[in-house]
Amino acid sequence: MAFIIIGLAVGVGTVVALRSLTATMEQEIGAQLDQYGANIVIVPKASSQELSYGGVTLSAATFDLRQLTDEDISRIKSIKYANRLSLIAPKLLGAVDIDGQKFLLSGAQLDQEVRMKQWWQVVGRVPDKADELLLGYEAAQKLGVIEAVKSADHDSMLHSDHTSVRQPELKLLRTELTLGGEEFRVVGVIRETGAQDDRMIFAGLPTAQRVLHKPGELSLIEVSALCQGCPIDDIVAQLSAALPEAKVSALQQAVRARLQTVERLSRFSTALSVVMLLIGFVMVFITMMNSVVERTREVGVLRALGFRKSHIVRIFMIEAALISLLGGLLGWAVGALSGVLSAPYFTETGAGAKPSLALALAALAAAVIVGVASSLYPAIKAAKLDPTEALRYY
Amino acid sequence: MSFITIENVTKTYQPNGVASRATVLRGVSAEIEEGEFVALMGPSGSGKTTLLTIIGAMSQPTEGRVVIDEVDVYDLSEERRADFRREYLGFVFQQHHLLPYLTALENVMLPLVITKLNAKEKRTKAQLALERMGLGDKFDRLPNQLSGGEQGRVAIARALVNEPPLLLADEPTGNLDSKTGDEIIGVLRALNEQGQTILMVTHNPEAAAATHRVLEIQDGILLSESAEPGCHAGQSLMEEVCAD
Repeated sequence: MAFIIIGLAVGVGTVVALRSLTATMEQEIGAQLDQYGANIVIVPKASSQELSYGGVTLSAATFDLRQLTDEDISRIKSIKYANRLSLIAPKLLGAVDIDGQKFLLSGAQLDQEVRMKQWWQVVGRVPDKADELLLGYEAAQKLGVIEAVKSADHDSMLHSDHTSVRQPELKLLRTELTLGGEEFRVVGVIRETGAQDDRMIFAGLPTAQRVLHKPGELSLIEVSALCQGCPIDDIVAQLSAALPEAKVSALQQAVRARLQTVERLSRFSTALSVVMLLIGFVMVFITMMNSVVERTREVGVLRALGFRKSHIVRIFMIEAALISLLGGLLGWAVGALSGVLSAPYFTETGAGAKPSLALALAALAAAVIVGVASSLYPAIKAAKLDPTEALRYY
Repeated sequence: MSFITIENVTKTYQPNGVASRATVLRGVSAEIEEGEFVALMGPSGSGKTTLLTIIGAMSQPTEGRVVIDEVDVYDLSEERRADFRREYLGFVFQQHHLLPYLTALENVMLPLVITKLNAKEKRTKAQLALERMGLGDKFDRLPNQLSGGEQGRVAIARALVNEPPLLLADEPTGNLDSKTGDEIIGVLRALNEQGQTILMVTHNPEAAAATHRVLEIQDGILLSESAEPGCHAGQSLMEEVCAD
């Protein structure tokens, strides 16, 4: 009995540890994908533009055959894998003059933008009215919205990472800006990101469309399909079909390569799990067969007392189920613990997987199924013993 | 019709790896009435235990039939025969066969596990059966914490807890010292005086002397019946006993 419990515990423990480790790694990849932003960018074909954003060039005056429009959003939402798209972020980009300086204005749904660009640290708040703006760090400096940081301070800031508490306080010196003849209020500044966002001005999409005189038009649409193991290629193909005049491209090849590695590891751990459960099956089978032999006389006594064959089968099965449940519980505990303890050696963040209820239930179910399935034959064999022979067994 | 009718029962079996069939019982017929205390005697290998298991609905005879309370036992399906054992028969084995990891009370409750009684009724019934055997203070003892006689009485309590019409005992004194053996025989006798029908396999003449009637069996054939156990049967085994 102890043998069965330990055997199943080792098997289930290994499986649970492997599963929770790969789950952690998948989570980490997912988080990384989140950090990198959108996976898919949709831009109009054949545009010749001089300002660029994210490797996409734009020009103040465009002569595309066809611009992206608000209507394309609903077309994106109509693809087969629409439910795999976690975020659809349409954007309009265009050059604007403020105080005689040229800036790139990005019109977007800013609440989504902030969610997608998790590295953004906004001082102040995100605009939610038509006359409000969000400024990149450099743009804010150039426009005198914030004080230019001295080089020493700058260095220390570069060397400190995002989590540092020693970031300089940003104070808005000026909040009024005139843009295309309209008055705007600066309500937030994004801390230095080291990327192009620093030099940009952000506004709500309708605001940008009005200021740039491009009602209903879009420069690009970013799409997040952040499900792990997403069929990105299929999604890209579907999007291309839905938007024949746009160029749809997937980003983050590197992350996807890493995702593939994890997928391979996940497949390996599944294979290993199957092997472990098979070993568990054989172990329980052998132990139960021995147990039937050892308890031959007991079976004889029970049969003599009027237990039916079906009662004997049930007794052995219930016993197997209980023991397996115990083994599964123990295995899950050991596996979950070792999954958490070994996480630092396998993942970058080092955070172990949270013990998941689904995994626990699956572990218990697997243990009980293996235990019961492998005990079925021994139980039937026990029930078939001839009671008189069984009583004579020594 | 008698309470138990054994008609022309023959049992042969083929031991593993042996070509010819061995005959254990040859056309045995007998009748036992309700309320009787009958001893089944014979040397080892005579077939007496085989006959007991056949009467006990545990081993199908090759030929012949066993009718208990007008039920032709071997006309029943195997599972129904198990039900029959539970309802009609109580077994006391030579080695008592108590389950070592269960207490006296739990051992006695064992036949009740598969009945429809609720837990409390099962417990009460088992307690009454043990009290009847004078073990009212030993409910929670494990078998190895009981004397041989006490173990025997637990085994009898277990056999009787379902209140079966027929009690079958296979050498209940077989591996007990004579004093403990007497104790067990005394218990069986008292039960019989209360109306319990008992069929007991034994090769102990003293045990046989406590019964109403002795069926003697040798080489698979029922030799004789002595209406009175004692020294007037004139047959081999009994003569040896009487010579002592």
